[in-house]
This record gives sequence, structure tokens and C-alpha cells, in this order.
Amino acid sequence: MTQILINGIDMHALRIPAKGLANPDRQHPTVVLVHGFGADSLASFYFTLAAPLSTSGIEVITYDMRGHGRSSRPDTGYRLSDFVADLTGLLDALDVPGPVHLVGNSYGGTVAFSYAVAHPERVASLFLIEAEPASEPWSRKMSILHDKFREFERPDEMDRVAAQLGPYMARLAKVTSQKLQVTTMVRDTFSGPWLSREQVQSVRCPTIEVLGSESDVVDQAELASLLPHCRIVVVPGQRHLLLMNAPHTVLDLVLSWIDEHHSARRSQSEVSPG
Amino acid sequence: MKTSKAAQTPANPAEASATLVFHELSGMVSEMLGEYELGEDFDITADTTFFGDLELESIDLVVLAGHLETPYGTQVNIAEFIAALERDAIIGLTLGRLVDYVVDCLLVTRSLTPATLHTGSTQP
Repeated sequence: MTQILINGIDMHALRIPAKGLANPDRQHPTVVLVHGFGADSLASFYFTLAAPLSTSGIEVITYDMRGHGRSSRPDTGYRLSDFVADLTGLLDALDVPGPVHLVGNSYGGTVAFSYAVAHPERVASLFLIEAEPASEPWSRKMSILHDKFREFERPDEMDRVAAQLGPYMARLAKVTSQKLQVTTMVRDTFSGPWLSREQVQSVRCPTIEVLGSESDVVDQAELASLLPHCRIVVVPGQRHLLLMNAPHTVLDLVLSWIDEHHSARRSQSEVSPG
Repeated sequence: MKTSKAAQTPANPAEASATLVFHELSGMVSEMLGEYELGEDFDITADTTFFGDLELESIDLVVLAGHLETPYGTQVNIAEFIAALERDAIIGLTLGRLVDYVVDCLLVTRSLTPATLHTGSTQP
């Protein structure tokens, strides 16, 4: 558990070593887990994927994004470019060797995708959970979400959440609402600039999208047209909070994805050294 | 016939350990609640739930998991423990359940007695 100063943010980050390697000489994969917006923190990954990935011989890095979890919460400075700069700064500070596999949940996937646009050579693969690139169509949807988040700032909306989703989710919504009220997070995060179609399609690393069949956050057809080479997996009966509600399914998908792409990278580098 | 049971040591080392681990963990939780300036007189029991009664956020449990490594080492792996639970079990997680897990880890990895658990600090 570490607090590292990144771009003026006191960032809470965890680096969990790869364990149980059959052959420690062979380079292990590194996975970076990027959590979602608002109510989320690295806890979502810490309590689902982090430990099993680590015991499967994968190094795990995860962190609280600015304004989230135990990282500091400045009043302003929450544009997508700030989140991308933080991820860049973190991986620089940790001196991570070689390209990493990025796993992004919801807005964390959006951040991961923009990171891959900015630093294609540093990304081995992208694993997106209910997430989309920050394209113009995405921004139109997000403006609706922006209004939804504003509603969370009203106390009566909290009561509605409590009645519908139970006290735990209501508490989460309340804490999130307090966070949103004291920062420009909502306004900044959904204010662009957006990635052009060309920028989105410049990402050539292996990419997989995991969606809940009952979620309407990501438009599958739109995603398939925007990212023709992206593998899309739909988990039946799940909504947007797929990671929270079906963690074992997500874990199995991540493990087989990393296995597939880490071995592929290794055989490539063995064929053409340097 | 006289029994040779030591006067103040419980017969079952697991029971003795559970008491010690409970005190350790509830101390850490109280400290955390203090940071939030919540009521210091909050009565923490084995049935107290982290997310319900104490209204902690899940990130607080991550921090607590980090604190636990100091006295107990990495064999107590809260991330692994939670990852194996179902969602409702996580939401309803009690201090007692966490104590049981910690004690289980310690019993598996050491020949556990109160003395090995807490050298010097809890001797009768």
C-alpha cells in the first residue's frame, strides 16, 4: 500500500507482486486495474480480481483515481486528460517494465482507452468492462448521465435510492453525492475533448469488451462499428454493475484473456528478438 | 485427580486467539472511526457490520487490510478472503467473521498460542 505524489495528487496505489510462478525467470504479465467514476474506488478490484490474479502469476497494480477512494480530492481538475496524465504518471513512477494489460471498469475503461491512444507502445491489451472510448457519441450519452449525477445531489433522490436499492447503495450514493458537490468532477469529466473516429481506430492492441446483457450503457452495435477488431462478450442477466455482481465470471474472462495475449506476446518476442 | 489446566489460559488456543484478534481488530476499527470523528463510544461487538453499523466505505476495508499486515504478516490476505465471498456476504460482513478468518490463517500457518500471537503483551 503506497501513497505516491502524482501530478500534485497524493495518490493511493497498490502494487501486488505475481505469486506462484512456475518459472520465475520468465517475465510475468502486469495488469493495471482502473476503477470507475463517482462511487467507485480501487476496492472494487481489490476485493474481486486483485488477489486471484496475483496468485495466478500476474503482477497487479491498482490505484484510486483523483477525487476517489483514499487519493486526494482537489476542487477542480477532473478532465479525462487529467485522469490519463495520472495513469501515465503512476506507471512512470512505479517504473513498470514493458507494456501492461489494462483492465478498466466503466469510466476506468474510458480512461484506459485514452491512455492507449496516447501511449500505444505501453499497452499490451485492453480489457473493458461496460466501458466505451470517449468518442462523440459517448459524450452525448454522458451528458444525460451528467444530469443524473446532478440529481444525486438532492436529498429526496437519496431516499428513492434507499427504497429501491437498499441502505448500502443509498449510503454509497450519499457519499458520492457529497464528493460531487464539493468538486467540479461531474462538469469536468464529461466536458471533452472527445476522441475522433480515427484516434479511436488507431488503437491496434488486442481489445475485449465485456457487457451485461441487461445493461443499456454501451451500445453493442455502435461499439462493433467503431472498433471492428474488438471481441465482445455478453454476460447474461447482468446490468452495468457486472464487476460487483458477477466477479467470478469477470475473473475467469480476465484470466483467459491475459493467458491468451501474454503467451502471444511472448512467442512474438521469441521469434523476433529485440 | 488434579487437572493440569493453567489457571488463566483458555483450554482452546483458537478461543484465546479469537479474543486477542478481536481486541486488535476492534482497536484498529475504533481508530479508523476516530479519523472520521464518529462517536468514540460506539460499542463494537463481533456482530457489528462494517458497511451497515459502522457505515464504512469499501475502501476503508482495504486500508484495514493493509493495517493487518503489520501484526499478522501477509498470510492474512483479506483481499483473497473477500474475493471468495458472495456480494451479500460482503455487504453483511461482521467484525466476528473477519476475526474468525484471521484466527484460521494464524492457526494454519503457526502453532498458535496467545504467546506466539502477541509476544509479551498479553501474558497473564
